[in-house]
Amino acid sequence: MRLFEATHVFKHDWETVSLANWRKYPNDKTPHVRHVEILNQDVDPETGVLRTERLIMVQQNVPTLLKKLFGGDASYVLEYSEVDPREKTLSMQSQNMTFSNLLSVGEHIVYKPDQENPKHTLFTQSAQLKATNTLCRFANKVEDMCWNRFNDNAHVGKLGLEQVLSKINAERQAVLMVQNVE
Amino acid sequence: MESISKECTPLKHEYDACFTKWYSEKFLQGAKTNDCTKVFKQYQECLKRVLKEKGLTKMISDARPAIGSVFADRDGDEKK
Repeated sequence: MRLFEATHVFKHDWETVSLANWRKYPNDKTPHVRHVEILNQDVDPETGVLRTERLIMVQQNVPTLLKKLFGGDASYVLEYSEVDPREKTLSMQSQNMTFSNLLSVGEHIVYKPDQENPKHTLFTQSAQLKATNTLCRFANKVEDMCWNRFNDNAHVGKLGLEQVLSKINAERQAVLMVQNVE
Repeated sequence: MESISKECTPLKHEYDACFTKWYSEKFLQGAKTNDCTKVFKQYQECLKRVLKEKGLTKMISDARPAIGSVFADRDGDEKK
């Protein structure tokens, strides 16, 4: 089993970052994320928490060994998230569905205001990668390769979100300019 | 971003646009009612049909416990 952990501070407030999270795809940095579908979405009438279930289809070049083992390069991920607007917390949990008989990848992400600077947003990401017994002596190798790929994707994922944040800021500037002219 | 099936893409785009507007202008300000339920229902009908055709429905319901999802499979008896 391999663990992946990362934190990052986005220099934008939580409201903006949580909006960017919903607008994250598509972006130039993560072409491997091909489709994101909303399966279920509602607001808990008691708590006011937004609950969302999404289906994510990922397709990217993978090492030949993995392609042979897994029989392809397209995979589906299921994600469940909750947004608590009062607590200012967005948490997401996801799990791979394709190839899960060979490798399990569970990921947990939290966005909340940074305690050191409440106008910034702290992003915490953790994942567990576990090859099943089916892979036997390949298990460590597969976990290593998947960890490396996960690490690469985590990096471009952050760049992708930064790109969306810049876009949102540019849109807001444009609205302000129009308002000033009027 | 295109939907998994091209036929659902226009509805998905309409919902995405409605949702992000509602999210930033109302939900984050404390609103509890989703303004976009009408188009969501249409998008869902399209999507559910496609998921069934692609044989993904069971895989999705099987994966729900692992992510702590509160949603159950409503296939066949969608909320009226």
